[in-house]
Amino acid sequence: MDSVMRVLFFAHLKEITGTHSADISTEGVAASSLWSLLIERWPALLAHREGTRLACNGIYAEADAIFGNNDEVALIPPVSGG
Amino acid sequence: MKVDIKMTRAPLSSRGVSVADGRCGALVEFAGVVRKEEGERIIEGLDYEAYEPMARLEMGKILQSLAGEFPCASVEVQHRVGLVPAGEASVIVRVESKHRAEAFGLLAAFMDRLKADVPIWKSVP
Repeated sequence: MDSVMRVLFFAHLKEITGTHSADISTEGVAASSLWSLLIERWPALLAHREGTRLACNGIYAEADAIFGNNDEVALIPPVSGG
Repeated sequence: MKVDIKMTRAPLSSRGVSVADGRCGALVEFAGVVRKEEGERIIEGLDYEAYEPMARLEMGKILQSLAGEFPCASVEVQHRVGLVPAGEASVIVRVESKHRAEAFGLLAAFMDRLKADVPIWKSVP
């Protein structure tokens, strides 16, 4: 079985995509390419791109991060805990 | 600095004012409580959602990054997830330290960072 990248959605992004997680099969991609893939599938995500951070395996990703198979990538919209 | 982080769906509770470490002369405990008003609306409560593994990691990293500036003996964080009725605590942070200044400092800085960086979201159900 091919390995895949799992993408997690939280808060209002979960409502927009209609799912908490999606599996994507892709070679290593930069953040901009990953966003393009996601927006192609869920165009409404475009409006939330600014202000949403990416995390890879539970850690906020650096701007030049590469996301690959077996990674758990989370879209982190502005947080509001406490 | 001893750090203990809990995330739970159960109501939170305070452990009282006894310190575990006899060298500590300050115990500061903060509870963040759900208000019954959200803007103009009266609400029954708030629903808290978390990316729990990352939230725990991030809280631990934040506390470790503050330990140098605010040397405290221990910090306990309890954060509730799921529906929290108005009037109940969504978060309790308990800090023990030798003197009060570092406990107040750490608590204030931690809450600011929690609200900026820890992947927890609240919404009106």
